[in-house]
Amino acid sequence: MALHRIRDVMGMPVAVHVVCEEAKEGWLDEVYDDFVALDEVFSPFRSDSAVSRINRGELLEADSGQLVRQAMHLCRLYEQATNGYFSAWLGGTFNPSGLVKGWAIDRATSILAQKGCRNFFVDAGGDVQVRGVRDDGRPWRVGIRHPVSRDRVARVIEARDLAVATSGTYEKGDHIFDPHTQTAVSHLLSFTVIGPDILQADVYATAGFAMGDGGLAFINRVPGYEAYAIDRELMASWTSGFGQYCAPAT
Amino acid sequence: MKRAAIVTGMTAVGVALVLAYKVTPHSSGLAAEATPTADPGNSQSAPSPVPSGPAPPTPAPTGATGTFTGQDVPNRFGDVQVQVLVANGRITDVKALQLPSDRAQSAYISQVAGPLLRTEALQAQNAKIDIISGATYTSLSYAQSLDSALQQAHVG
Repeated sequence: MALHRIRDVMGMPVAVHVVCEEAKEGWLDEVYDDFVALDEVFSPFRSDSAVSRINRGELLEADSGQLVRQAMHLCRLYEQATNGYFSAWLGGTFNPSGLVKGWAIDRATSILAQKGCRNFFVDAGGDVQVRGVRDDGRPWRVGIRHPVSRDRVARVIEARDLAVATSGTYEKGDHIFDPHTQTAVSHLLSFTVIGPDILQADVYATAGFAMGDGGLAFINRVPGYEAYAIDRELMASWTSGFGQYCAPAT
Repeated sequence: MKRAAIVTGMTAVGVALVLAYKVTPHSSGLAAEATPTADPGNSQSAPSPVPSGPAPPTPAPTGATGTFTGQDVPNRFGDVQVQVLVANGRITDVKALQLPSDRAQSAYISQVAGPLLRTEALQAQNAKIDIISGATYTSLSYAQSLDSALQQAHVG
């Protein structure tokens, strides 16, 4: 049987779709509970979140609990791995939102996998992890949104176990900043990263978008990950291995 | 629309965005399936493969400099307004100052803008999918507002 649910969490629609014999609504409850729990800790929009308290100087990293310390550790690792193009410390405050989204999807994936579920996807605001197959036994089809038309796609990725994350401008204004210049960057309209792990794909999508023209070359050197970029002239470019994941044009 | 004026002197990015809406059914680079696979190392759009360090500064040809705000283009689901930053005749940034809500965008594009967007890529990839990944922005009103901002900037 298949269960599907969509709910706004962390300020975005989160969809969970599960295909397996023994699927239970309780599994989905557990997934959403985890999203809510992470949001309560990490949301910069909640004045009582740990992140807000850290930024007000009311909470020290050492006292902030395991989740926050883990997030800070991951943020530092990825800041290093992306040459600073991913950063959770912009403008003097700690904002791990760019990490927490992918992390939440990753945790949801673990929750469902631990239930023994093999076929599902978790989609948080357009970043997605798919596992297994659809209920017709075929691979999941993930479209990369065409930048000028919401209901059409530039490419279709067919995947059984894959993460797909896209960063772009205009979703909520220019929300991705080049940490080196502290200004909004928008050389590209969108930058999509695919690979085995959604946390990494999401962080690399953010970093790759901020890198602009250098983003594809960067991802090309990351084993197991591919990228697809659409620039302002509506030209599409992609890394060398990207094509093998794409469905033929219809 | 002073389209000709925009086309002639337009070296900057962004203009293709405008043209793609109004004129050319086939000129979009997003006819992606027909585009050969880009090796980023050789791609014309990737002259700087080194990801370390800040983005290289943009070369500075002569031309207009400043911030130009496009007209507020209302549609039935909300207002769309775009601002462009131009330095020496080149667009360095485009910002959406106003956009309708997500749901409104969806309805707007599917009902109004969709049929007007006719490129090969759009037709080719009208595919059935399970999930969509990507960023969005409002389509036609965005182009109109961008167009008016570009005219003010005399980028062309």
